[in-house]
Amino acid sequence: MADRPSDVQYTKTHEWVKVEGDEATVGITDFAVEHLGDLVFVDLPEVGQEIEAGGSAAEVESVKAVGEVMSPVAGEVTAVNEDLADDQGPLAAEPYGAGWLYKVKLSGTAEGMLDLAAYEQHLTTEEAAGE
Amino acid sequence: MRDTPLTQAHIGAKARMVDFHGWNMPVQYGGILEEAERVRTKVGLFDLCHMGRLEITGPDREALVNRVFSGRTAKLDHGRAKYGFLLNEDGYPIDDVLIYRDVDLMHIVINATGRDTDPAWVREQNEKSGFDAQVKDVSDDQAMIALQGPASEMTLQPLCGADLSALRYYGFLEAPVSGVDCLIARTGYTGEDGFELFFPKEHALAIWNDLLGSGRSLGIGPIGLGARDTLRLEAGMPLYGQEINLEIHPLEADLSFGLGLKRAGTIGIPALAKIKEEGYPRRAVSLNAPSGRVARPGCKVLKDGREVGFVTSGTRSPTLGTNIARALVEAEVSELGGTLDVEIRGKPHPFEVVPSPFYSRKR
Repeated sequence: MADRPSDVQYTKTHEWVKVEGDEATVGITDFAVEHLGDLVFVDLPEVGQEIEAGGSAAEVESVKAVGEVMSPVAGEVTAVNEDLADDQGPLAAEPYGAGWLYKVKLSGTAEGMLDLAAYEQHLTTEEAAGE
Repeated sequence: MRDTPLTQAHIGAKARMVDFHGWNMPVQYGGILEEAERVRTKVGLFDLCHMGRLEITGPDREALVNRVFSGRTAKLDHGRAKYGFLLNEDGYPIDDVLIYRDVDLMHIVINATGRDTDPAWVREQNEKSGFDAQVKDVSDDQAMIALQGPASEMTLQPLCGADLSALRYYGFLEAPVSGVDCLIARTGYTGEDGFELFFPKEHALAIWNDLLGSGRSLGIGPIGLGARDTLRLEAGMPLYGQEINLEIHPLEADLSFGLGLKRAGTIGIPALAKIKEEGYPRRAVSLNAPSGRVARPGCKVLKDGREVGFVTSGTRSPTLGTNIARALVEAEVSELGGTLDVEIRGKPHPFEVVPSPFYSRKR
């Protein structure tokens, strides 16, 4: 299991966001990666695209499932992780590092986010519910 | 959800469990790609206790099987199995099954989805025809385990009281495994060599663990339904409900090898013979794309932007490293080498029409 960083915020739907000034980096958590299984494809937004908070921003596909990435934050996409197009390995290995998905220029604040402790508490309830 | 005799063992092995047609079954233990590779190169163990089996006995057992089973059984030797369908009057499959012809009984191995419908259907035909045959549903009393992969025989032989090297593909015999009388068939659903074992369910855990022990040095591991589905699709094998169902008949699904079309006495065969004579507009095709998104069942298939069919099964192929799918399309666009687009999440993705199956093992 990847070490979960404490300098990012988490969602109940297993995304993470790291806010630095007016820019935010978005990815999915190690729990999401583990749950999806063998990854085969990542569909990312386009640079310049406006993304809404809570809207579908990306899709991460595994052999058996498609995981929708619900953007925790709103804003204009400034960069996407092109490396993941050909090789999803970094996402599987380093979901909080080289496996980041996209960056946005924030047009609002992230709301309803969990800190590390709250996210891990949320995971225990999900696991207790049989995933 | 129902548990199989092995459900607790799967949970103990930290498998990810799913509700599969009402059964609490493992979808994967480690990863699907890793499990599929294990079956292609070593050996894997499958819990198939959710599947069912009927035993047909009595003087008219062969007549009853001949009435309800689509394939020719008259020339089937004792100790041999055959693939085919239970067809309705219109020629559409109620299920796809394997028939095993024994000296004094016929076994019909049915899918989990057919455990309610199939016994009722076979009994109904037995009564309608006035045959002197008995239909015994042993599904709830029996366990079914499959061992699949090149090291299957080496895994099973030390536990088994019969010489397995003499057992041919699609043959079966009765012999003890770990001291328990088993029906051992050289059949499977992966495209690899292997065996399917049928025996009383109280021995399921002991035999499961003995097989894992026997195969340990050969690299054995338990395999979930996820890898099972990709392995069967690579090998060109249909899944009931997807490639064939009450709206897709075996001719258009390219499964005519499971049909004896000259037999008038079999339910559904006259209807299929007529369909064949008159022609039918759809064909099943195999699709392949080197990378990109995975085609999923139900995705639309397009030719030059026009909808021409739909995907029946699709996955990333662990063995080929490409994206593969089966689709049912208009016959005019089914030629090999052509390009068809699969609409995935609203966008077209090109796939090539390729020969079937995607994978066949070297013999």
